[in-house]
Amino acid sequence: MDFIAAEIDYFFSYISEVGTGKLIRIFWFFVIFEFARLFVIDFLALIFIYVKRKLTKKKRKEARRLLFLYNPLISIIVPGKNEGKNIYKLVSSLKEQTYRNFELIIVDDGSDDNTEQICKSLKRNGMIDVFIRNEVRGGKASGANTALRVAKGDYIVHLDADSSLDRDAIEQIILPFYEDDRVGAVGGNIMVRNYNDSLATILQSFEYNDAIGIGRMVASYLGVYRIISGAFGAFRTDVLQKVHGWDIGPGLDGDITVKFRKLGYKIVFEDRAVCQTSVPNNFKKLTKQRLRWDKSLIRFRLRKHKDVFIPNENFSILNFLSFLENIFFTIGLNLKWYFYIIDMLVNFPGIVGMIIVMNFFLYSCSNALKLMVFNFFRERRNSPIYIYFPFIPLMVIYHGYYLRIVRSIAYLKELFFKSSYKDAWNPEKTSSKAKQIGI
Amino acid sequence: MREVVDSDILRQGSFEFIRIHEQSTYTLELFMAYDSIIIDSGNRDFVEKLVRAVRTHNQPDVYLKPIFLLKSSKVEDPLIGNLIDGVIFSINQLEIIADYVRQILLRINDFVFAKSISLEAEVISRIIYLMVSRDKNELFAYLYLNSGLGYVYPEASIYFTPRDEHKLLNVMKTAEIEGLFTSEFNDRIYLCTNCETGILSYREVCPKCSSANSKAEDLVHHFSCAYVGPISDFQNAIDDELNCPKCNKFLNHIGVDYDKPALLHTCNKCGHKYQDYHVKAKCITCYHDNDVENLIPRTISNYYLTKKGRNIAYHGFISTSKDFNEIPGTVKFDVFKTMLEYEVERLKQNDATSNIAYLKISNAGELYSRIGIDRQKTLVTEMIKILRKNLRSSDFIAFYNASTLILSLNEIPTKIANNVLDDVVKLTATLLKKNFRNIEIEIDHHAQPLNTELSHEIQLQNLIKKFDQDA
Repeated sequence: MDFIAAEIDYFFSYISEVGTGKLIRIFWFFVIFEFARLFVIDFLALIFIYVKRKLTKKKRKEARRLLFLYNPLISIIVPGKNEGKNIYKLVSSLKEQTYRNFELIIVDDGSDDNTEQICKSLKRNGMIDVFIRNEVRGGKASGANTALRVAKGDYIVHLDADSSLDRDAIEQIILPFYEDDRVGAVGGNIMVRNYNDSLATILQSFEYNDAIGIGRMVASYLGVYRIISGAFGAFRTDVLQKVHGWDIGPGLDGDITVKFRKLGYKIVFEDRAVCQTSVPNNFKKLTKQRLRWDKSLIRFRLRKHKDVFIPNENFSILNFLSFLENIFFTIGLNLKWYFYIIDMLVNFPGIVGMIIVMNFFLYSCSNALKLMVFNFFRERRNSPIYIYFPFIPLMVIYHGYYLRIVRSIAYLKELFFKSSYKDAWNPEKTSSKAKQIGI
Repeated sequence: MREVVDSDILRQGSFEFIRIHEQSTYTLELFMAYDSIIIDSGNRDFVEKLVRAVRTHNQPDVYLKPIFLLKSSKVEDPLIGNLIDGVIFSINQLEIIADYVRQILLRINDFVFAKSISLEAEVISRIIYLMVSRDKNELFAYLYLNSGLGYVYPEASIYFTPRDEHKLLNVMKTAEIEGLFTSEFNDRIYLCTNCETGILSYREVCPKCSSANSKAEDLVHHFSCAYVGPISDFQNAIDDELNCPKCNKFLNHIGVDYDKPALLHTCNKCGHKYQDYHVKAKCITCYHDNDVENLIPRTISNYYLTKKGRNIAYHGFISTSKDFNEIPGTVKFDVFKTMLEYEVERLKQNDATSNIAYLKISNAGELYSRIGIDRQKTLVTEMIKILRKNLRSSDFIAFYNASTLILSLNEIPTKIANNVLDDVVKLTATLLKKNFRNIEIEIDHHAQPLNTELSHEIQLQNLIKKFDQDA
């Protein structure tokens, strides 16, 4: 602590000597990218969202009236393997929904536990409408496509089996379709149910509240929202059928969103449609999950959908910007961060210690500010804000170091070794085919 | 049509056979005058109708009449085959069957025909008369399409219409409980929940609308693009190749390009898609569509006549013990056995004498037949009233069968117990004389002390053996 206090003292005496220009030169990474993008722009966007919501309150009310007037059938599809233990909780939360006209379709993707027995029992008791048991595992995409093939609803809501919903979640996630008929898909707001389980879960809960939740609200407002989480997302059935459903994962959530965007449909995030889910409860599992997510960015954005960058008759400036923003703030900033480290080591070798401590301090302040300010814009919270305060400094390590390193490893593995095709998340028979045809 | 003429009356030794053709006009009562019936017809329906009519007639002289079929081939129908007494291929074979007819008639001569007070007892006694007269011990169930159960007991099912045949199973259960038959498992059947018949049509139906109109297809999963759909999505009208509707690739090799993870049914009525169909059983009789899990399971047994059952033919079978279960002042036989067990245990702790006894109407068959069904129960009820007046409340009584009462006379010397029974017999006889002129009642009785060294079961068996011997 004495060391940190000494470094801060040193910092203040240093800035009084060097002036603002030099400071920006030293902390350019934080000032330009992190603070500007992740606080200033987000803050401004949230104000606009807030104002827009106030102004369009009537439109929302009318959308709700239309939804209940037309009363469309919603097909809730839940593909999964060995998820029997979670199904009852999910079914119970569905029973409480304010919107009642839905069918529940469960696809058991080759489970080797008692999932089949549990689901059949629930079906017998009328709690599941359609249950399809695939004897052999085909992967998440094939499970979802099986459900899509039998679905009769006008909208498809894709859920993960370990999710549970707020009472009005189905209603809230469908409303955007009635507010704007150009909307093709809506992403739900994922919150962490097990935030109290471990350090890993509380840091993820912090991340879902802030970077993911707020980030998606802003991205949606700016028209560059790019991923509908598989845990809770709604799609127009006709569009899903037009794109023939999901393609092979991992990363199928982002992929399906791009396919919708390419057809010109708007993709929006609905923060009022809340779904709670369990996140990995230790860093080993979390690392595995994030490696998979990050690899899919290379595989889908840079390889499969690289045509988004090519100006042809299907070119869309919003899709282009969405991809660019995504790639810049993930791959670009990741590379720039290494560039920043090298810059500091080469140009300011004598004050590296002070720079590290100060960056830590600045990021902590920024996180605290965001936590408090953005909290005003959240309509629904699943945990009290104060529980996150002790973890603010740790979030700097989590975001600034841990996630960056995981991301770097994922990019390298995917760029040079195409390792996503070896991920056991997908069955080998489908991954090998995907690799063979280069998707 | 022609009347029965002299040429239809056939004689063999001292026996007269009546020959019936399809064209014959006759009444069933006519058969009483002959020793046996010869049915001269190859028409199965005619034969069955006639055999059923004879065997279900209310007069023993008709329903026990030996019947032979004049036919050029063997009878394969189990119902007819078991209800007739044989097949002759020519009239010249009468000599061969004459001896068999004699045996049947001799046995029937020894029978006592008592009127039964319940349908159950009536059916049981008629089955037994028919079996004993033919010296048969087995009552087997045969698979039979025209039966309401799918199984027929030829000698027993004829008393019921196909819709009521399920009642026969209860009758046979009662007969088994009475100790008249033993049984062995033959098959298990399931009956309609609405009408309890067993001819059902099982169908795989849509779990949503119960329609059997559905199409089953394999689901195909194309590995390359993750498309999943029924195989018809991949088929085309031109050739046998499978093309993916999503990526337009050929599916060449199962396991390499695609697999079939599931079978999917599509209901052609409501469009519901499902894997697990429901099985429903439509009743051919009443058209009720049953959920198979609610069907009524019943066991079909083969029955074997016991010695006690055989004796029924010679003593008559007036009622089942069930018919007397509700007569005040008595307890059920099972309860009696339990109480007797307690009494034996109690005597082990006390220096006292208790007795078991029986009272048996030895001419019950004749008696009950004469006083008529309605008054049988009245007589028995009155007899119990007399007994109860003369016994103490600690004594208990149960029906062993319609003509025999078992008693436990507690804490009195055996001699006094016998005296009490004497008094009861006299009082009953007096009562009967008052109410029924020209009718005598014969009552046997016997009381014996309970032995604490023997189990109540053995003592009861010894008592039953005693009155069976006396009979």
